[in-house]
Amino acid sequence: MAITVKVMRRPEAGRTSYMRATLKGMSLTFKHLVRPSHVTLQYPEEQPDLSPRWRGTHRMEVHADGRPKCVACGLCPTVCPANCIRLVGGEDDQGNRYPIVYEIDEFRCIFCGMCQEVCPVEAIHVGQHFENAEYTRDRFVYDLDRLMEQDHPSTLLWDPADPRSE
Amino acid sequence: MPDNGPRADTVTLTIDGREVTVPRGTSLLHAAETQGTTVPHYCYHPGLSAPAQCRICLVEVEGAPKLQPSCVTMAEDGQVVHTDSPAARRMRQGVLEFYLVNHPLDCPICDMSGECKLQDYVFDEGREHGRGREPKRVFGRDDFGGDVLYYGDRCVMCTRCVRFMDEVARDSRLTVVERGSRAVIDTFFDSGLEGASFAGNVVDICPVGALVSKDFLHKARAWDLDHTPSVCTSCSQGCNIELHTRDNLVQRLMPRENQEVNGHWMCDYGRANYEWMNRPGRLEAPMAGRGGERRAVDWKTALEHLFVRLQGGTGDVMVVGSAEASNEGLAALGWVGEAVGTVSARVFRSPRADDEEPLPGYPLLVRRRDLAPNVDGAGLLGFERAGDDTGAGGLEAVAGHDGIVLVLGDGLADQDVRFGASAGLFVYLGSFDSPAARNADYVLPVTTFAEEEGSFVNAQGRVQRFWPGLRPPGSARPAWLVLGALAAALQGGRTPASAAEVFAGLEAGCAAFAGLSYDAIGESGVRLEAVHG
Repeated sequence: MAITVKVMRRPEAGRTSYMRATLKGMSLTFKHLVRPSHVTLQYPEEQPDLSPRWRGTHRMEVHADGRPKCVACGLCPTVCPANCIRLVGGEDDQGNRYPIVYEIDEFRCIFCGMCQEVCPVEAIHVGQHFENAEYTRDRFVYDLDRLMEQDHPSTLLWDPADPRSE
Repeated sequence: MPDNGPRADTVTLTIDGREVTVPRGTSLLHAAETQGTTVPHYCYHPGLSAPAQCRICLVEVEGAPKLQPSCVTMAEDGQVVHTDSPAARRMRQGVLEFYLVNHPLDCPICDMSGECKLQDYVFDEGREHGRGREPKRVFGRDDFGGDVLYYGDRCVMCTRCVRFMDEVARDSRLTVVERGSRAVIDTFFDSGLEGASFAGNVVDICPVGALVSKDFLHKARAWDLDHTPSVCTSCSQGCNIELHTRDNLVQRLMPRENQEVNGHWMCDYGRANYEWMNRPGRLEAPMAGRGGERRAVDWKTALEHLFVRLQGGTGDVMVVGSAEASNEGLAALGWVGEAVGTVSARVFRSPRADDEEPLPGYPLLVRRRDLAPNVDGAGLLGFERAGDDTGAGGLEAVAGHDGIVLVLGDGLADQDVRFGASAGLFVYLGSFDSPAARNADYVLPVTTFAEEEGSFVNAQGRVQRFWPGLRPPGSARPAWLVLGALAAALQGGRTPASAAEVFAGLEAGCAAFAGLSYDAIGESGVRLEAVHG
């Protein structure tokens, strides 16, 4: 295809007035001065209301005795499109398969929630959480203990009362 | 029907609407395979007898009153077979449902997941939801000894493992005990499979996750593994294997079918001998200078300086090869030696076991005395065996030689630090450093067989190729490339770009390999006798 050149026609200097645009902008400013907007949320005094489907940083569900529910099946690192999960499986002293190493790089994660969807034992979940500030970058690689400590609510990828969105 | 005339050697039948001609005595299952249809099967294995007890390979044969087990029904002239008719499909779905009555749904924690036949068949044809209401019976797991672990709940009672031990290993250590839903595989005595040399094969042939390898347990998922065709290096039988790799580490070795070498099998010694391929502490950069003067250099510097030294070298050349090096590496080593001067010694050392150990039910497969893959190749390339049966000694003349000494692949484990001290030029090519390489003027890192392309000659005189499954560490390069470049520079030729080019040079220069090419060898190898009559 041939290259076409679009020529911008600008008004010549001194031939145009910005008065109309300035007045338009100022009128909006004055409108907000007398009638403040209700959109702004006074964070952090006020907390936002997150959607039940909000997909934030992960958490790992645990059994009543404190063991992680994960059985190291390897489906989440397989399905993860960002390749952010590192998993090394092993066997504990009761003969159960469990993750020796389970790490999620939250920087690399794209929060698609497929790890939660694929998990056969409902162990790994994305969470309703967004406050993740840290002082160092390496703190964003969450290891198994850190994932088990997280106490924010898990994401509902679908409404249990209406699983098919009907 | 009276049968008076001579019978034809082939039969023609129709399978799923397509006409197939197969040799007489072929089972329907095989005949279907020739036209691209795989009939599901558990108890049938091409290397074992067929008891027709799993009932999942039943197919519809027109005229037969009931569905026929395709693994034992022989193809006949004019048969019309439907492997995928509604009756056959319905039957398979029913059989699979019965299998799942007691089979646990523990695919997430099962080591076989991803290569499990039950998983595959149920995914293809099984019911979407189970209808069982009763609790499943639970056996737990049993340690069979050796490397084998048995999960009774997952077993589908195909008895392949029992038949392997009876028919192929001829060492009946497994049997079925109890009946019906209580049936399990068990060992006779406390020893179990401990000490059986070929028992690891039962793990390979188990179609489900009932028999698993302790070594591989929980190590990797089947779908994460890359498979590379290769040749086992544990003895001179050269069993065809696959390297299963993940994260640039060999995770396990599996036999690869080759009916002329190892059938479907391999020995446990070879199967377990892979950790050295993952061993850290490798030589990663070329180094120049003797003893304390040793320093890392880049390949260009190392080879250019070495080339100058070799050109100006005096005295005769002594060459130490290795039966673990490829034909290409050994040939190139010889070329360098010949290009420099007279080769007065051309030796290799290799440990030997006390006895051979054949697989009784498959006599072609023998665990050989020579515990290195390329003893015969080294012999064909003019290398002579030195040293004793432990792979030590025999290098007295080389150790004190005052000419040029070239060592490839021999770790020199038994030699002391004075080795090569009086040599005019001592070049050591290896994967691992050695105290005896202290006096080497040049230490050049080369790859192992798992990281390079090449070929071995096994004890049957069969040339077999292998392929790289791992990335080499640092700047290690294949021996054929390093030595091929040197030989080309010394003789004024072209640096080989691939192992195939080195082999082509070998084919032209060595009568034993005449007429062969990499393409002709392929994945299954070629017997030298077959080429030369």
